[in-house]
Amino acid sequence: MSDALVTRRSFLRWTGLGGVALVIGVDQRDRLIVPMPATTAAPFEPSQWIRIDESGEITIAAANMEMGQGVRTSIPLIIADELGADFSRVRVVHVSPGPRYDDMRTSGSSAVADAWTRLRPVGAAAREMLIAAAATGWGVDPSTCSAFNGIVSHPASGRTASFGSLVEAAARQAVPASPRLRTRDEPSLYGRRVLRVDGPDIVRGSAQFGLDVRVPGMRFAAVARAPQYGATLVRFTAATSRAVPGVRAVITIPSGVAVVADRTWAAFRGRDALQVEWRERPGALLDSAHYLSALEAALPRGKQGRRDGNPAAAFAGAARTLQATYVAPFQPHAAMEPLNCIAHVRDGRCEIWVGTQAPNEAQAEVATLLGIAPDRVTLHPQLIGGSFGRRLTNDFILEAVEVARRVEGPVQVVWSRADDFHHDKYQPGQVNRMTAGLDANGLPVAWRHETADYHLTTFEAYDPNYAVDGNPWGAYDTPYEFGGLDVKLALLEAPVPTGAWRSVSYPAAVFARESFLDEVARASRRDPVDLRLALIPSPGILIRNGVPRANGDRLREVVRLAAERAGWNQPFQRLRDGRRWGRGFACNSYHGGTMVAQVAEVSVGAANDIRVHRVVSAVDCGQVINHAGLEGQFESGVIWALTSCMRSRMDFTGGRAVQANFNDYRVIRMNEAPVIETHAVASTLRPFGVGEQPVPAVWPAVASAIFDATGRRIRKLPFISG
Amino acid sequence: MLVNLTVNGARRSVDADPATPLLWILRDDLGLTGTKYGCGIGACGACTVHVDGVATRSCGLPVSAAAGKRIVTIEGLDPAGAHPVQRAWIAEDVAQCGYCQVGQIMTAAALLRVNRKPTDAQIDGAMSGNICRCGTYQRIRKAVHLASELL
Repeated sequence: MSDALVTRRSFLRWTGLGGVALVIGVDQRDRLIVPMPATTAAPFEPSQWIRIDESGEITIAAANMEMGQGVRTSIPLIIADELGADFSRVRVVHVSPGPRYDDMRTSGSSAVADAWTRLRPVGAAAREMLIAAAATGWGVDPSTCSAFNGIVSHPASGRTASFGSLVEAAARQAVPASPRLRTRDEPSLYGRRVLRVDGPDIVRGSAQFGLDVRVPGMRFAAVARAPQYGATLVRFTAATSRAVPGVRAVITIPSGVAVVADRTWAAFRGRDALQVEWRERPGALLDSAHYLSALEAALPRGKQGRRDGNPAAAFAGAARTLQATYVAPFQPHAAMEPLNCIAHVRDGRCEIWVGTQAPNEAQAEVATLLGIAPDRVTLHPQLIGGSFGRRLTNDFILEAVEVARRVEGPVQVVWSRADDFHHDKYQPGQVNRMTAGLDANGLPVAWRHETADYHLTTFEAYDPNYAVDGNPWGAYDTPYEFGGLDVKLALLEAPVPTGAWRSVSYPAAVFARESFLDEVARASRRDPVDLRLALIPSPGILIRNGVPRANGDRLREVVRLAAERAGWNQPFQRLRDGRRWGRGFACNSYHGGTMVAQVAEVSVGAANDIRVHRVVSAVDCGQVINHAGLEGQFESGVIWALTSCMRSRMDFTGGRAVQANFNDYRVIRMNEAPVIETHAVASTLRPFGVGEQPVPAVWPAVASAIFDATGRRIRKLPFISG
Repeated sequence: MLVNLTVNGARRSVDADPATPLLWILRDDLGLTGTKYGCGIGACGACTVHVDGVATRSCGLPVSAAAGKRIVTIEGLDPAGAHPVQRAWIAEDVAQCGYCQVGQIMTAAALLRVNRKPTDAQIDGAMSGNICRCGTYQRIRKAVHLASELL
């Protein structure tokens, strides 16, 4: 195989290690290749996912962006499992977006599912080449060999060979076009608790986030942006700003006025010293209370969505009708690492160091902005100190480029915490009106779910002819069977910048749906868990265009598992230590993939202070890749949901954001964290994702627990001061 | 103005506005980026360092007030990165995004210096000033208990 031989020699030259490496990658059409490296002396990164050295060390490219969800561990684990590697020998490296890594976008909790399809064959191909190398050397049939823990073995003869010892021979093998994937009965790396690969760097303080990057000659910039959305810059006085020691330049950019300085603190002080005049956007300047009431007023104008059976007849035949309206306010992202980006524009090229969920898009957008070809934009992805959807929008990267193109040298634009709160792409508020018709036995036979929501400004321009199909999440995929089901959506144009937030439009709709089903259960004196089991169809399987959209049996299983692990049918004392205790149940099907059921236990004191003590989750997410990661995502999603329902929301007044820091947007801290227990169904289905899936059912589980404790139903979030 | 500091056992001199928060001196002048910026008002704990052994929010301490004091950052907590708290953090797989964890570790280390066997309530009291948006609190608590055993 002359191509492979040439490749091997080229790699000797490229790696400069004097050693041999087996390198496996995929091209843009997902064909497996052993690629040719460039012969230029410039730094070059060929398309590769796996490199195995003679020492047995394995380097795996992390193309997904790490923001706490663990993809720098879970994705390499998937590749390593298929390969049969010893995970302790794996080293994970960042790669840059370009034609060879053209799909680095990390969103929608899809990384693991995508890797399952796209990257397992890469690991399998390398495994088969290593096995072929060993089998050829031993003169045995490759099908009688296996690979696990970094060793190829031939059980019949007891012969073994380490991966490192096989690399040179393996590089000469043909790359299999359709390698065999491991079956679930073979030895596997799954089902364990695998430690985070970045853990040691994090605890030593050497893990590098975007804000930590230091480039020779770099400066720091703070940007004065319009305090009110849509306001325009009239004039500014730079003299007071320039007088601050360390300030080097004060320049106008499209998003405001940038103060460039030698140090971050000088940039912040220089910005504080700026005198800027803004012209407020003409037209009515409203506040968040108006934004929410506008949603409620829009409910009757909802367009028809899913309709099952005959809702009109089902409602007409109902013995009793119930109705309730639920309101969820706007929320910020407020990740721990404020937005930041380093950009350096020179000689018709641009170099960027940034944490982003969308590196390929960023590269393309920067290229367009500067009028250069994308391959002249080099983007170095960094670890992200939390994102939750904010860093899917690259406005802050383009802004940094606007500064960099006007100054010499690299410049890091740093957002203060107030900047981060005030110039977020918010989770929009949402209102849901639920109506149920109950039969003579109190069973709901007619169900109407009406949603009024705001569009996401970061994804598309508002279209009054919006399509309803597949929306709203949590309503279009109502997992219950009724004689008549009616879903409507009124989509309004967002009054402030809005974007993707962890689980997007699910939590508000699921809050309404699950809370209302609890209200129906109470009204008909049924147990909320029993009512779910009565309404979730079996098998209830729905597949549309090859994609699962519903699975009643899988949802029923997590409902039962959560109830069992939470002791739902055990006695529960509701008066303890002067506090009233309660528990609540909720469940959700996340686009027909991951199924979650949760039980929350709360207590309420005499001062109506609410404490959440315990949240028990049951999940079916298909094959669990890493149990430590799965539990981490539930611990994370529960705390995330609690911050946004207990006490905190984003307010606007006069067209500007109100909350500016953690003293007025109060988040859950250690002293309010409940015990979080997570139980996973053992499944060999393909994995579905758990990044966002733990969130939606938490709000209604807690709301129903509060009702159970106090008899008070909260329908407007946050629970305290909603 | 020249300010003389003792950071991680070494004498360091910086020419800076004396009102500059210690946080930014550490990060921008001394190249110690382990200590993080999260809020600037002492509300999140990401900037926690030890000043004469006491957990201190470096975003709120002017560098002039840090002169003559013994400052320890995460980089100096243990020469091998093997302080009991750091080892416990690894064993319990605490970190998710990791951005807040330096502050968490520094706060926990300071707590254990004065209270070798803290109760859950004492851990709450000491560590509720440190925010984690990834929600790792449950594992932090376990790791503090484990670190206490490793002392």
